[in-house]
Amino acid sequence: MRTRNLDLFADPPAEPAGPPAPRVWTVSQVNRAARRLLEETLPQLRVKGEVANFNRHRSGHCYFTLKDRSAQIRCVMFRREAATLPTDPKEGMTLRVFGGLTLYEARGSYQFVVTSLEAESADGMWKLAFERLRRRLDAEGLTDPARKRRLPDFPRTVGVVTSPTSAALRDILAVTARRAPWVRVLMRGTGVQGPGAGEAIGAAITTVAASGVDVVIVARGGGSIEDLWGFNEEPVARAVAACPVPVVSGVGHETDVTVCDLVADLRAATPSAAAEAVVPDGEALERRLGALGQRLGRALSGQARARRWRLERARDGLFGRARRVVDAYRQRLQGGRRGLSQAMQGRIRGRGARLREAAAAIEALSPLSTLARGYAVPLDAKGRLLRGVGDFGPADRFRLRVVDGNVPCEVTGNPTRES
Amino acid sequence: MAADAGLDRRLERIEEIVRLLDSDSLGLDEALALFEEGVGQIRRAREILARTELRVAELIGEEGEEVREFAPSGDVGSDDAEDG
Repeated sequence: MRTRNLDLFADPPAEPAGPPAPRVWTVSQVNRAARRLLEETLPQLRVKGEVANFNRHRSGHCYFTLKDRSAQIRCVMFRREAATLPTDPKEGMTLRVFGGLTLYEARGSYQFVVTSLEAESADGMWKLAFERLRRRLDAEGLTDPARKRRLPDFPRTVGVVTSPTSAALRDILAVTARRAPWVRVLMRGTGVQGPGAGEAIGAAITTVAASGVDVVIVARGGGSIEDLWGFNEEPVARAVAACPVPVVSGVGHETDVTVCDLVADLRAATPSAAAEAVVPDGEALERRLGALGQRLGRALSGQARARRWRLERARDGLFGRARRVVDAYRQRLQGGRRGLSQAMQGRIRGRGARLREAAAAIEALSPLSTLARGYAVPLDAKGRLLRGVGDFGPADRFRLRVVDGNVPCEVTGNPTRES
Repeated sequence: MAADAGLDRRLERIEEIVRLLDSDSLGLDEALALFEEGVGQIRRAREILARTELRVAELIGEEGEEVREFAPSGDVGSDDAEDG
């Protein structure tokens, strides 16, 4: 209708009134029309540009600007799509985004609704996410080589976390059956790919670790970095780090290291290699047992040999000792004989001296020594000692014993008593 | 279960016995007893190694609370393995 009014070649209007009033739009009508124009005329676009001000809102929606040297577009990535991003892009990173243009009517600004986003290099976002998580785990020390535990030499039960239908499980079972069929395998099946794989793998590790296994193998065959993504998610790293028994990662790729590999106690290139690292080789063990049996035998004959040798040594020693003992006695005997006569002479000499001493002592007590000092002792004819006046009668004969003899005496007067 | 109780401990014990027998501080009776024990340990370890059939079980259920044995010789991806 409006175009018709502007058509200069159209018939003049029939109405007598002046030119009709131009239509007045509401702001909403304008924005709605502009939005329809944007959404309907431009197809879905793939756009390349540098990201700026990437902001993940609490609602889960992500807002950012995509720009080149001279222009910029506001972009939004809604929660559903944003949840598939392994991580947030880095400021200034070159992105390729896919989506469509729209107009946010409330603000009258147009924006690009992004449905998928990737770094210019195909796996850039994954690498970025990997590096970010890795740095965090490094900072916590979870990837520290000093944290790596030694695998048990002889596990009795091996836990396996993998997809139950996978070639990885078949490989692990084949290696185990060949090398160590006495081992028991306890498998916890889990999805290893797609959204939620990280949580599922982490939970499976925790479950199997709590079931009395000696070691855990986390395994998956090879694949692209996206396919392996579950093994790059934080829940896996946390579950491996918290696992009470050693974990071997057999998330197979020579070139791509996963976070699971980094935190695991051992990284194996393939599930088979993981199984080989975990279970001992039965044949090698058999050989070792054989060698131990031989060593036992040798050790026992060694014991016998050692005893024979000790016996011989003891016998020689015994004879030697006996000879020495006899010789010693013989010497002492000879010495004794000599010593004995000397001792006897000594003793005899000693006794002579003692005799002389005793004689001297006795002499000291003898009345002879008193006599020697000038005293005399009166004795009657019978040799009895005359002690007092009463012992002498008139004209009695007696003798005086002096030191060197006797002197005959006679009482000539009356003996008088003195008081 | 008792038969495979500690292949590791058996090997350790055998090695310890060899070490003890290599030392010369043993009585003859003691040495003989150790030798006999060592031979027995080797025999039992060999019995463990002689097992040929791998035992495989799957933890099933929400919390892995159930254990289901399955034969590994068959197809690993069989129904048995896929349930739960």
